[in-house]
Amino acid sequence: MLTFLALASVVLLGIVPEQTQAIVIYTGWERHALLGSDVRVSCFFFSWRWTSEDVTFSWTYRPDGSRDSISIFHYTGGMAYVDNMSPFRDRVEFVGNPGRRDGSILIKNLDYADNGTFTCDAKNPPDIVGRPSSVRLLVFEKVPIQAGVITGAIIGVVLGLLVLIVVIYYLMRFLVARRVFSLSVSKHGKKKKEGSQQRQWHPPPSSSPLLLLLSLPR
Amino acid sequence: MLILLAAIFVLHIIGIILLLVATIDNAWWMTDTIATDVWARWELANGVWNYTDLPTGSHYPTDYLQAVQASSVLACIFSILGIFVFVAQLFTLPKGQRFTISGIFQLLSCLSIMIAASIYTDRFHLDESVGWYGHSYILAWIAFSLTFISSITYFVLRKKTA
Repeated sequence: MLTFLALASVVLLGIVPEQTQAIVIYTGWERHALLGSDVRVSCFFFSWRWTSEDVTFSWTYRPDGSRDSISIFHYTGGMAYVDNMSPFRDRVEFVGNPGRRDGSILIKNLDYADNGTFTCDAKNPPDIVGRPSSVRLLVFEKVPIQAGVITGAIIGVVLGLLVLIVVIYYLMRFLVARRVFSLSVSKHGKKKKEGSQQRQWHPPPSSSPLLLLLSLPR
Repeated sequence: MLILLAAIFVLHIIGIILLLVATIDNAWWMTDTIATDVWARWELANGVWNYTDLPTGSHYPTDYLQAVQASSVLACIFSILGIFVFVAQLFTLPKGQRFTISGIFQLLSCLSIMIAASIYTDRFHLDESVGWYGHSYILAWIAFSLTFISSITYFVLRKKTA
């Protein structure tokens, strides 16, 4: 049964992409980085086809305030190519994994001049129809606190503590009640039920097992 | 007895409403052309109110602002949880017992809004001579006193009828 399903799914996957679905490329929306640090600009793609060996990644860069894009990186046929004239010539490194549809690059030693938009275009032959995706790089001297991080953290911690206290309280009550109950049953043996259906839960005094022993009914 | 119960309930509800207005409404600090609260700022330009972000910088510390945001939201949450806990305790508390848990929730709410309003008073608008504190800020302090009274009431009250 299982083998039949596996075979059927393989056949279907071979048949379905007669109409080539577009390749979908994912990068982030914005990346914030510190001056002088390294930043990994990630690019993933999704394709209905198996990842071929001719998969290519192409990165272009458009500085802030400029209208021209320059090509800074290209990966094809298992080799990474960097333009020797671009401002990133010795600072960009390929850290992606084409087998896992990852075309990320690492940009080292950032400067304020690196502020701009990075566009990733991935192609997975025969699936070549796709829209390149862009990520904006912002270089800061000091990374600003993102809106709402501290707010969310404070609220989360306080509510979490509240939930924890409630859970611990009920757990303690449950455990202590069980201990008291099992202790009393073991001391009295099998009790007759008709006289003692109402088992009130009394908050146990400090030396509960001793008191229970002392208050044995005859 | 029923009147007392209704009065306490109404007091708690009013506390909740004031806390919500203080947190949500846009009037912690006002000038003739600006209305600010802990979330954003409205600026009047050419007869139209525009929604802008709060200024950032040393005179407007973002981390303290986020602490004020968190505290005021927590105050609302605690108070709202408190009203549900109070209603639950009305039905489940044994006779003669005090509404301690409801009181604790109201006290936490009181503490939170006090923290929020105090931080705001101490850290913001220190050098600005033009402008005044808006109604949301005033309501925050009034809510502080109301929730305090409410929590004391819960700590003192005993359940009379089963």
